[in-house]
Amino acid sequence: MLRIALKNVKHNPKRLILTAIAVALGVSLVAATHVFTNALSSGFSALFNDIYDTVDVIVEPDPDAQIDLPEGVSVFQESDIDKVRATAGVAAADGNLTYPGVLLDKDGKAPNGGQGGPPTLVINWSTTPDLAGATVIDGRAPAADGEAIVDVGAFAKDALALGDTIKIASERGVAEFTVVGTARFGEDNNTQGATLVYTTAASAQLFAGVDGFDGIQALVTDGANPDQVAEAVGAVIPEGTRALTGEQKAAEQAAEFDQVLQYVDIFTLAFALISLFVGAYIIANTFRIIVTQRTRELGLLRAIGMRGSQVRSMILLEAAAVGVVASTTGLLLGWGLALGITAWLERLSGDIFGTITLPPDAIAWGYGLGMLVTLVSALLPALHAARIAPMEALRESGTQSRKPLRTRNIVGVALLAAGGAVFAIGLFAGFDSPYVFVGFGGALLVLGTTLLGPQVLVPLAFGLRGVLTKLFRLDGKLAANNIHREPRRSANTAAALMIGVMLLALVATFTQSLKATFSEQFSTANADFFITPTAGPVPQAALDVVAADADVAYVSRVAWEEVQVDGATRSLAIIDADTADLAFGYPHDRDFTELAGGVFVDPAIQAQGVGVGDSVTIVGPATTQTLTVTGLYERDGDANYFVDWETGSQLVGETAIQQAMVGLNDGADPEIARDRIESELAVDFPLVQLQDASELQQFVNQFIDLFLTIISALLGSALVIAILGVMNTLLLSVTERTREIGLLRAVGLRKSSVWRMITIESLVMALFGAMLGMILGVAVGAALVRSLADFGFSSVAIPWRLLGVYTLLAGVAGVAAALWPARRASRLDILKAIATE
Amino acid sequence: MTTTSALAASMRAGYKDYGFGEMAVRALNGVNVDIARSEFTAIMGPSGSGKSTLLHTLAGLDRLTAGTSSISDIEITALTESQVTEVRRKNIGFVFQSFNLIPSLTARENITLPLDIAGTSVDGSWFDEIIGILGLGDRLTHLPAELSGGQQQRVAVARALMSRPEIIFADEPSGNLDSRSGAELLGFMRRAVKEFGQTIVMVTHDPTAASYADRILFLEDGVIVDEMREPTAEKILDRMKRMGS
Ligand SMILES: Nc1ncnc2c1ncn2[C@@H]1O[C@H](COP(=O)(O)OP(=O)(O)O)[C@@H](O)[C@H]1O
Ligand SMILES: [Mg+2]
Repeated sequence: MLRIALKNVKHNPKRLILTAIAVALGVSLVAATHVFTNALSSGFSALFNDIYDTVDVIVEPDPDAQIDLPEGVSVFQESDIDKVRATAGVAAADGNLTYPGVLLDKDGKAPNGGQGGPPTLVINWSTTPDLAGATVIDGRAPAADGEAIVDVGAFAKDALALGDTIKIASERGVAEFTVVGTARFGEDNNTQGATLVYTTAASAQLFAGVDGFDGIQALVTDGANPDQVAEAVGAVIPEGTRALTGEQKAAEQAAEFDQVLQYVDIFTLAFALISLFVGAYIIANTFRIIVTQRTRELGLLRAIGMRGSQVRSMILLEAAAVGVVASTTGLLLGWGLALGITAWLERLSGDIFGTITLPPDAIAWGYGLGMLVTLVSALLPALHAARIAPMEALRESGTQSRKPLRTRNIVGVALLAAGGAVFAIGLFAGFDSPYVFVGFGGALLVLGTTLLGPQVLVPLAFGLRGVLTKLFRLDGKLAANNIHREPRRSANTAAALMIGVMLLALVATFTQSLKATFSEQFSTANADFFITPTAGPVPQAALDVVAADADVAYVSRVAWEEVQVDGATRSLAIIDADTADLAFGYPHDRDFTELAGGVFVDPAIQAQGVGVGDSVTIVGPATTQTLTVTGLYERDGDANYFVDWETGSQLVGETAIQQAMVGLNDGADPEIARDRIESELAVDFPLVQLQDASELQQFVNQFIDLFLTIISALLGSALVIAILGVMNTLLLSVTERTREIGLLRAVGLRKSSVWRMITIESLVMALFGAMLGMILGVAVGAALVRSLADFGFSSVAIPWRLLGVYTLLAGVAGVAAALWPARRASRLDILKAIATE
Repeated sequence: MTTTSALAASMRAGYKDYGFGEMAVRALNGVNVDIARSEFTAIMGPSGSGKSTLLHTLAGLDRLTAGTSSISDIEITALTESQVTEVRRKNIGFVFQSFNLIPSLTARENITLPLDIAGTSVDGSWFDEIIGILGLGDRLTHLPAELSGGQQQRVAVARALMSRPEIIFADEPSGNLDSRSGAELLGFMRRAVKEFGQTIVMVTHDPTAASYADRILFLEDGVIVDEMREPTAEKILDRMKRMGS
């Protein structure tokens, strides 16, 4: 039987090719991700080994402990280092301090406005060679304060020269250094793209604004056991810190990084699963068609004594063969893809990957998913094949009756009803976490729609028959007939596309609503400029510079903190109460100027029965305060509690400013004022940028668009697979209709007409799938947005422009998918076609 | 069709080879044939003698290796593929042995198919006349799968007649039918020749079927070896015995 199965696959490779490609594409996504993350993992693990290779013992804050220190006070002081040095077995020890900044260009400007890209790290230079982690290549080590050496990679990239003055900005200000040498980091200067600047401990502390160090690194004496030394050091260091060996630290870092990569794996796995789910429709369709086409042959096998179960196994074996070939292809494809991407990334940002291998987990996932999806999808057709009666062998082909769609319809309606009900519960019943209901209901709706597709498609094809006949005469009529003839097949094909497009439309609706929500909220902005942080919080000193400008009327600050109320974690907004309402039209029942040291509460807290006059006990990081509710905030999702700056500072201690809004005096010219303020800021705070409301909105929209782009790209493979599905169905039905097409050609149908007929068929399926997908996607997306109202989503927006683009793309894809099948159909040899059995 | 030529179709020195070199088979070996207008011509011969090949090359479904063939006075061997398609649509009707109909179209739609392809309107009275003669009146809304074999072939003949083609080619049209349905079908074809002046060329190996024709061409090894006018079944059987098949 295996032989017959393999023969079948070998005999008719063409009709299985697209099926195999569909599986392979899904598998390749999984494989590529695993190869990619594996290479990243080994690259970073090498980096961590490099960093900690020469260090025997590391002292650092214990990640599980909480240390509260005032601003500017370091965990480790010089005295702590002395204690470590004095510990038995320690040969040398040094403090280490690393602080991030941005290396400014020759004009004193931050590249990309200081956003994105690897950071510049300012590090104290250790005079103990093995503790520096780097080797001086040119020039000399930094000796005096203000001297620095730069890693060889950045030195070359930024075309620096010894003796140059470089400026490095942090949110605290700008520091200048004189370049006195270059250094190679580790063995290969593998910095993962970062720029490393080594300076004296005092200069590094000045830059970081601290009085000590982040950590301590130590070397052990010859023959001493690092584990034992680490233990001994552990006894002398401050509370809340720990000592561990370099080896342990490297392993810990690598493990942490792997954890992050695992999320990447899971994230793309989700999209690969979507692709494979879409692919499943194609596989099921292909096998269903193959079984139908081979009805007589299978009947014959049954007639000469093959059991039904053997027929079933035979079909499943065929599927398995396809699965093996497809998974293997997918793995290789994914590997190639990962090789390409890593090569490209390495050109962009240097040597960040380890050796690129095909890891075992990629092979396991690839074959596992590939085989599973192929076999599961072929199961129903195989069961159907097992039920073919021997009599079918004797029946004229093309005369078997169509199976009724009743069961399918009943299940479809049931799913649709259940989905609708759950959906409605989520939207209107007012349970907690309504989005869970909406999501689940949406999934049921999609499944129901898929099953009911044929029922919708039959009347649709019939309705279209009139229109298509009017538009395209006979070609249109024949195309409508073909869709109508195999409603299951056409509907499954369209359903595959529907799912892809639905997800696309869902995300588009979501992001569009997000944009609309932002723009709605920003429509009440009155401030002339906004300052948002780029690296770290907005420094007060920079705001002082802004406030000192003659044209500036006010600078209104905002900070968000997490606090505890009645044991629950809540969000707290801290505002400048006297200017907040000048800067922004906040929705509340009275002005923030009436806060009066009390607190405003948002609808979520009001829903707990808290009202004006009640008192609330807020546990902040610094102190606990009992405050009187003096007003009601009226929008969900911004923050639970609002307090003024004085109260907030008492609750949380030093407040990190997250946004500042700047208002100008009446009659001031915003452009002139802006130019002047920016040049004033550029002196010490080049990372602080002014944005007006529309720029801020654009800035936010950029991130939303990026999100949409990434999701769309990841859904791309599912969409490609769905289009392959349309092509696949058309190819198979062209094969099936060989005689019919031959006959049409014999009685005079032009090649161009055949081409048109297939294209119309393709277009109807593609547009039908895309339309259903968009309707479902927008509906589910809009419902999700509504159910997320508690998170501040205030308006539902339908992405009409994108929907138009998707429709257009579906049309283009429909025409493209028809190219190959139409070419085959129109080139059929008429004589051979009419002689085909 | 208002052409002046007295011939509906003709072939001069027609050669047809299949395959190349050692594998080559000569299916037609210098055929000269004239098909007169308004005549029912049958082509007979043993299996493999080239009957189907002759029909296909005359009808422009296949190309001759050498020689010329014409439909009325259009030399189709000189035309491009798409021009031949045009000629087929305008001037030729077909009836095959089986699978004559598009399964998704009703009997009526199948009958008017050539007109739909050409985009010309249906002549209602002509349609009614054909339907009346072929006795298909109550079957028009049925799909092919719902028709008997004889009915299917009659629909195919109706379709071939519908566009009043210069010539109808039929390859064993009664080959799959029982003798009663076969006789009925051939009777209709003969009436079409007599009453409408339709030209029909039919391939058959059945002497009874051939006896409905006005003229029989006998083919052997790709050459026309004999012809007979006013045939009867006995005369044909007699002739076939002499051919030793
Ligand atoms: N497509 C083809 N390829 C190769 N040989 C063919 C082909 N069609 C027909 N032949 C050969 O040409 C000869 C004539 O065939 P055909 O015209 O079908 O004969 P008939 O219809 O009289 O039985 C036969 O020997 C047949 O094997
Ligand atoms: Mg033949």
